[in-house]
Amino acid sequence: MAEIRALGIDVGSTTAKMVAIDGWGNMIWHFLEQADPRVDEQVEWFLLSVQEANPELTYYPGKGVEGIPLVATGYGRKLVQQATRQVTEITCHARGMYREMGHGGTLVDIGGQDSKVIGIGPKGEVVDFSMNDKCAAGTGRFLEDTANRLGVPLVRLGEVTLSASEEVSISSTCTVFAESEVVSLIAHGVPLQPILKGLHRSLIKRIVAMIRSVSFISPLMLSGGVVRNPAIPVMLEDEMNEKVIVPKFPQLMGAYGAALIALELYEPKF
Amino acid sequence: MSSMLHLKLPGRSDAIRSFKAQGGKIAGVLPIHYPRALLRSFNLLPVEIWGPPRIDPVFGSAHLQPYICSIVRNALSFVQTNPFQTVDVLLVPHACDSLQGLGSILLDFVPPEQPVLPLYLPRGQGMNKASFLQKELETLYQKLKNITGYSPSQDEMMQKILYEEEADQKLASLHRQRRNLPLSDIEFYCLIRAREFLPAEKFSEIAQQILDQVRDEILSGIPIVISGILPEPMALLNEITQMGGMIAADDLACSGRRLYPPGRSQEPFLRMAESLLGAAPSWSWGSPIQDRLEHLMGLIQASEAKGVVFYNIKFCEPELFDLPSLREGLQAAAIPSTVVEVDINDPLSNQMLTRIEAFLEMIA
Repeated sequence: MAEIRALGIDVGSTTAKMVAIDGWGNMIWHFLEQADPRVDEQVEWFLLSVQEANPELTYYPGKGVEGIPLVATGYGRKLVQQATRQVTEITCHARGMYREMGHGGTLVDIGGQDSKVIGIGPKGEVVDFSMNDKCAAGTGRFLEDTANRLGVPLVRLGEVTLSASEEVSISSTCTVFAESEVVSLIAHGVPLQPILKGLHRSLIKRIVAMIRSVSFISPLMLSGGVVRNPAIPVMLEDEMNEKVIVPKFPQLMGAYGAALIALELYEPKF
Repeated sequence: MSSMLHLKLPGRSDAIRSFKAQGGKIAGVLPIHYPRALLRSFNLLPVEIWGPPRIDPVFGSAHLQPYICSIVRNALSFVQTNPFQTVDVLLVPHACDSLQGLGSILLDFVPPEQPVLPLYLPRGQGMNKASFLQKELETLYQKLKNITGYSPSQDEMMQKILYEEEADQKLASLHRQRRNLPLSDIEFYCLIRAREFLPAEKFSEIAQQILDQVRDEILSGIPIVISGILPEPMALLNEITQMGGMIAADDLACSGRRLYPPGRSQEPFLRMAESLLGAAPSWSWGSPIQDRLEHLMGLIQASEAKGVVFYNIKFCEPELFDLPSLREGLQAAAIPSTVVEVDINDPLSNQMLTRIEAFLEMIA
């Protein structure tokens, strides 16, 4: 493995991710697991994993890896005491995506508990952004909850949705009310596939509204854990009439951006 | 940064207690514009009620629709609390539909023990606003006379007007010199908002002490303009400081929109009306959007701010009506802006703070 020069960690609501990069900003190692509510313990565990994979590095518990800057992002970023700096996920996603794709555009990041649309300028700078409000609609949680209600495994959600030849309209964009609507549709004998497609459409329309609230910059890019659901990029393309670009590691763009910022700000912590 | 902590800014309760100890009475006043000098002429200390935040809004909720803002909801609940018993008269300026509705509810349905006085403010175009407001102030004078049994003379009124005008000028100076004052945002707004309850002469004295500390050095931080109703919870200001930002100017209803210039007339009612109408353009006066936009642009230019944070109270419709046009105008001028929404009863949300922090990172 090439020499690690910087680390980025994205403590999200659903998953926590860590990325290590070399001196040229190439991603050389990453780690991803379900987010633990005890953020400090999870970060400790991540950093120990870095050291295990790279025995030449020295990790000081509670402090960090000697000589390696760490930038933290995500909703739990303020809890990462080992971080050299905390930077918001907006800036980090933009930085990671720009480096990965080599151009600006409009990035849609659909996470477990929030969604964001970020306008990225030609030099990788954030020019505008929008975030969902205090509501699970328009996020991965919306699909997760309704998938549970329908008894469809999360990993099959996209596949089942795309197999639908018809679609019902789900009028509510509120997760809780949508569940009630789904129960009502099931009671009326509506098959599973059209309901799922309607739920996805509801989420996508919410995202499109956010895209419309910022100045759109082509191309449209997609990141976040929800991208693993194949129905999302397909239906977003359909709704926006715009090709959607997905990076190789859509869940890691925030942590990757954080690591790139750490490299730029390279200052050994001790 | 040096601090103003040695100034010992009096608190609201202290100000009320002290004024009452000298034989004065208290006028509880709802937002936004009203004639301070007129109340002082009747030996009433105006103490403003912007909610207040963090009280149980249940009583208000029982009488209001769910889409009424938390300022009005809390105000209706507040009249049922013990602290409200220190108030001798309640003034309800009709700044917006919700406050107008609150005035009606307090007058007709759940009246407090204290007298409730409405104050109609001129809105819309094509009317002689000064003449309308002058007549409204004369009507208010008569009502206060009936309640207190006292008839202040024109000379007494002019004396109080001059006190208030001096305090207003000091307030305006503090705003103008904001970036050269040795105060953090939280300290600055604690001082500014003391105008909501301190007697004018006391406020002027404290403001002058601060103005004497104006220095050449400019406060560091990413300068922003904040626009909205009020900066609650006030912890927001510390958060902005920690994020590396600083509020270089504001278009807040409780603050920057109430920088009243002195009136010109020697007739006290007209002079008070002229002064109130000289405030910054806002929906409460029915100002055209273009005037609001030009005012915002002026603030941005003078303070060298890099962007605007619209800090909205949830369900404040007058603010929300103007918002798209204002943002569009700012965007056309390449001035970044962002919008966050709060309820004055809620703690600061992590998500809202992330938006502000991301905005600061964007404009830095």
